[in-house]
Amino acid sequence: MATAMDEMSELHSLLMTRSLTDDELLRATDVAPDYRILPEVSVLKIGGQSLIDRGRSAVYPVVEQLAAAAKRHKIMIGTGAGTRARHLYALAADLGLPTGVLTDLGTAVAGQNAEMLGYLMAKQGITVVGVSAFSGLPLFLAERNAVIFPGMPPYDMWQHVPDEGTVPPYRTDAGCYLVAEVYGCKSMIFVKDEDGLYTANPKGNGEATFIPRITVDELVEMNLPDMIIERPVLDLLRHARHVTSVQIINGLKPGLIERALDGEHVGTIISAN
Amino acid sequence: MTAQTAETIHVPSSLMRQTLLDRDLVLPATGRPVIKLLPWLKVVKIGGHSIMDRGRDAILPVVEELVEAFADHKLLITTGAGIRGRHVYSVGLDLGLPTGVLAALAATDAEKNGHILAALLAEHGVVYLPHSSVAHHLPVFLSAAPGVVANAYPPYHLYEFPPAVGRIPPHRSDTGPLLLADAYGAARLVYVSDVDGISTADPKDDPSAELIPRIGARELAARGLKTLPIDRIVLQILGSAKHVKEVQIVNGLTRGNISKALAGDHVGTIVHAD
Repeated sequence: MATAMDEMSELHSLLMTRSLTDDELLRATDVAPDYRILPEVSVLKIGGQSLIDRGRSAVYPVVEQLAAAAKRHKIMIGTGAGTRARHLYALAADLGLPTGVLTDLGTAVAGQNAEMLGYLMAKQGITVVGVSAFSGLPLFLAERNAVIFPGMPPYDMWQHVPDEGTVPPYRTDAGCYLVAEVYGCKSMIFVKDEDGLYTANPKGNGEATFIPRITVDELVEMNLPDMIIERPVLDLLRHARHVTSVQIINGLKPGLIERALDGEHVGTIISAN
Repeated sequence: MTAQTAETIHVPSSLMRQTLLDRDLVLPATGRPVIKLLPWLKVVKIGGHSIMDRGRDAILPVVEELVEAFADHKLLITTGAGIRGRHVYSVGLDLGLPTGVLAALAATDAEKNGHILAALLAEHGVVYLPHSSVAHHLPVFLSAAPGVVANAYPPYHLYEFPPAVGRIPPHRSDTGPLLLADAYGAARLVYVSDVDGISTADPKDDPSAELIPRIGARELAARGLKTLPIDRIVLQILGSAKHVKEVQIVNGLTRGNISKALAGDHVGTIVHAD
């Protein structure tokens, strides 16, 4: 029976000698321990089109909920992009610009939304932290319990190209989710303007049925034509080591953010298994 | 049901009011052919372990070849991480750190190899460009100089995907140049390694291994070879790339291969989209 130390030294020698495409090496890395960097923190994603683009009637109550939540919870608040990103994507795609350029454009919009949220939460001492300053996150969280960050992943010109069209496949849902996963966070909550996931887009579709809980496999199997969460997040979730489920909740309904942070099931839970 | 609140304030566009996930709505608005931003660009990846770790005996001839190539080509030269990247993976894994942290750490090692190569090419006007400049200032640098050096690791860093198997970051130094070459609509992508190309087995372990001169990405993936001289995710990305339809893997230890590949001659292995 190999000890953990033997396994790690075996892994070290594989890493120094084998190809990184070697399946045996990749499987051997599974023996390494999993350390959660910020296990007490939850990531919340505030929708762009679904919430911020609605202006004060939606955003002020959400800000109040976030400020209240930060009294009892440690939270990282990521922002979506929304309608201005859609305008940029439509304009740029019509000019034949590549996905990498569209990614950069969308990143700026998520940044604007983070900036606005930052001004609204300034009174609470809650600030925006950009990706390049993430090394300071622990201090902000220790001092104020909350930070705001722009939701787009930093892929820029290195964004994956979609099979069809040019819209960046990994946008703010994926960006916020990956932040939660890499820091080994407690939970990932997507705050949008619907109660969760439906069998069709409930906007303009009376037949849509609410799905309270579903697994990634079941959801992929359903092959829904439209969805409230970016599809690539499902694949990320499938391979996650820390954040193996996410919840989608309605930010327009008072109180749900704190209840979700308390671990209550108040929207749709999508889980890896 | 939606609570009482103001409607979303939309900017009118063909993608307005939708989730960007309904292909019937998104495709008509985004299906136009993608233009090539820098159609004359050629992208070269210099292997970290295969070239840089070998030191001057391997690096100096490669530098000479790159300088010769400057007469005919505008080059984006990218560098891999090599053995220090392996070491930092090993230490990071031992500490239990997640894949995203490993990706950020190894990218630093690739960057240092880039600084070394750029220093050797400095007298030709070549500088090392960080990711942000590669994404935004590449055209002006390439009008001023015949080439630039950049980090072959893509800037996925903490946002690296959790891999399907194990903990090693899937987007490594072969993936960055491919994504970038495709985004810029580059004319060519050449991986410079220390093997003649892709073989039926790893030639370092099996002397009977035979070189595969040309193969489709999907066919290559289906062969399930134990190791490959390029990152496996390259095979998957080639399938959806808009411009890059093939990549070439050549042996940089054989003088003349880089020039031949840049000129479009078939040396090494060509992997094409199928």
